[in-house]
This record gives sequence, C-alpha cells and structure tokens, in this order.
Amino acid sequence: MPLELTVALIVISAIYLILIFRAIKKGKMQISFSIFWILSGFGLIIALIIPDLISKISKILGFSVPSNMMFCVTIFIAFLLIFDLTVKLSKESKRNISLVQEISLLKNRVEKLENGEKNEKV
Amino acid sequence: MKVLLIIPAYNEEENILNTVTTIKEYSEEIDYIVINDGSKDNTLQILKDNNIKHINLVENLGIGGAVQTGYKYAYENGYDIAIQFDGDGQHDINYLPQICEPIINGQANMCIGSRYLDKTSSEFQSTFMRRLGKNIISMIIRMCYRKKITDPTSGFRAIDRKIIELFSKEYPVDYPEPESIVNVLNERYKIEEVSVSMNERQGGTSSIKILNSMYYMFKVSLAILIDSLNKKKVK
Repeated sequence: MPLELTVALIVISAIYLILIFRAIKKGKMQISFSIFWILSGFGLIIALIIPDLISKISKILGFSVPSNMMFCVTIFIAFLLIFDLTVKLSKESKRNISLVQEISLLKNRVEKLENGEKNEKV
Repeated sequence: MKVLLIIPAYNEEENILNTVTTIKEYSEEIDYIVINDGSKDNTLQILKDNNIKHINLVENLGIGGAVQTGYKYAYENGYDIAIQFDGDGQHDINYLPQICEPIINGQANMCIGSRYLDKTSSEFQSTFMRRLGKNIISMIIRMCYRKKITDPTSGFRAIDRKIIELFSKEYPVDYPEPESIVNVLNERYKIEEVSVSMNERQGGTSSIKILNSMYYMFKVSLAILIDSLNKKKVK
C-alpha cells in the first residue's frame, strides 16, 4: 500500500477515535456501549501501522484476496452489532411500557386521593 | 366476587360515552375502568366531563399495553375477575353473566366470547378475509396445543385472579389477543369459550385493516409459533 494512502487512513482513523472519545466525554454514549467503538478504532490503526498484517492473516485463513476477508469480518461484526441493538431496544421498550403504565396508575391514584375519594364510586 | 370491566379506548370519542352509558344502564353496581390510550381526539375530555372512571396513559402504548394497565389495576385492587370490554361498542354487555359463568364455576381460568361458536346467533361475523385469518390462527393453536379456540382474535374475554396476576406481570404487546391465549395455554390454564354476538363497529376504524391482513396473519402465525416454544412441560 502506498505510504500516502496509509498516512491518510491513519489520520482518518485517528479522527474517528477522537470523535468517539468526545462523544463519551460529553456523556452521549455509555462506557459499556463505547467499548466496541474504541476497540474498532484501535484495531484500524494497528492494521494500518503493521504492514502486511491483514494480507498475512487472510492468506493464513485461506482468503484469495485480503479485501474478501475484510468484507466478511466487517459484515459479520455489523450483524452482531445490529442483533445486540435489537435485543437492547426490545428490552428498553418493554421497560418503557411498564414505566408509562406505572406512572399512569399512580397519577390515577393521586387524583383519586386529591379528590378525597369522592370519585371512588362514580 | 369482585368483577372489573376493563375498557381500552383509543380515539373513541364517538363511542366511549355510549359504551359506558350502556354498562351503567345494565347495572349501577358493576365496576369498570376506561383506559385512555393516549387518544389524540376528545376522548379524555369526554371521560372527564362525564365523570367516567378512567386511567389516562401518558403515552400511547397500543392495545396490549393499555389492556395490561387494566390488569395491573385489577391486580392491585384485588379484583377476582377482569373482563376486557372494547370501547368501540362492538361488545354486548348482556353477555356478561355468560362470560363470567365458567370462571365462577371454576371450569376455566379464562373465558372468551366467541362470534363463531354458534353460527346462527351472531349477526356480525366480519369479512371473509378476517374469517380466513382467524381460521388460520385457530388451526395453528390447535396444532400446537390440541385446543380448539374458535375466535382467537376476540377482545371480549374474562379472566380469573390467577391470570390477572400472570397478565399484570407479562402481557404480549404485538398481537395481544391471540398471543395471550397462547401464553395462558403455555401455563396450562384452562380456557373456555362462550357464544356471543358482536355488533358492527359503531364508528372509528378497526385496528386490523384488510389490506394489511395478509402481513398481519404472517406475523401473528410466527408470533404464536414462537410463543408456543415456551410451553411448560407436564410434570
């Protein structure tokens, strides 16, 4: 890979990492969620710094072209990530429903108590 | 026996007053609670103006979440029987004794008002597509549980204290009517059906649109099959 391209890619990866850390610092992302993103950023830089790392691994694993391995790995990780998010989203929406229900039930009770139970038997 | 009518209402300004008035005319004694599922129309105002007992959900949850709120209310307030009764005027309050009877006698934990059990008595049996749909759902439930439910999408149903507890903890969100039946069967509780007739919708739009029914059927079938994996083993 030409040096210019490598440098450009390392710079992009560095910006990527900075964006991630900024998001964490500002509290936009929970630490537990950010681990994946931090690792992915460092992984990119390591792959770029060590020459021929990717092509050697892909050769060992038997991919005909290194880019094939990259696509394969990236898509696999992306699927895992989406799956994980779907699970988390379902859990979250369940909790949301339960919260709305509890708040509404409580509001109903508070109103009743404020009205001195006179609306209890309508 | 303390009985509670749970009336879920979403954008039912045209029907809700009628429904509640009919219930009050039927019996002053009966307890009911309207669950206003974050309606965008004047439903809430009507409920307030007419002094109708209601719980106002702060966000729209869909029919499953709304009905479950009613079950939670029933559980907290110690009701023995909870009856889901739609706010759109489809259900007939005169069937109340019939639908409670199997539960009071201890024959069943859940009793469903079926439009199809006795074909002659029901005037409103809905469209061909919906009948086909419910036949497929029935068939799947029959395959998985060897139990015939003639009207799995009926929203007119009574449940006893045990199932109130079950439903207040866990109630399906996506397709609550057929899925809740499957959940009850999973726990090996008994379900009975009684024949009821339902009225044509008096207003508003049905939550199941005919154009979407094929897709709906596919998803419901899948949901039931997935739910059936949680069947409890006989000990």
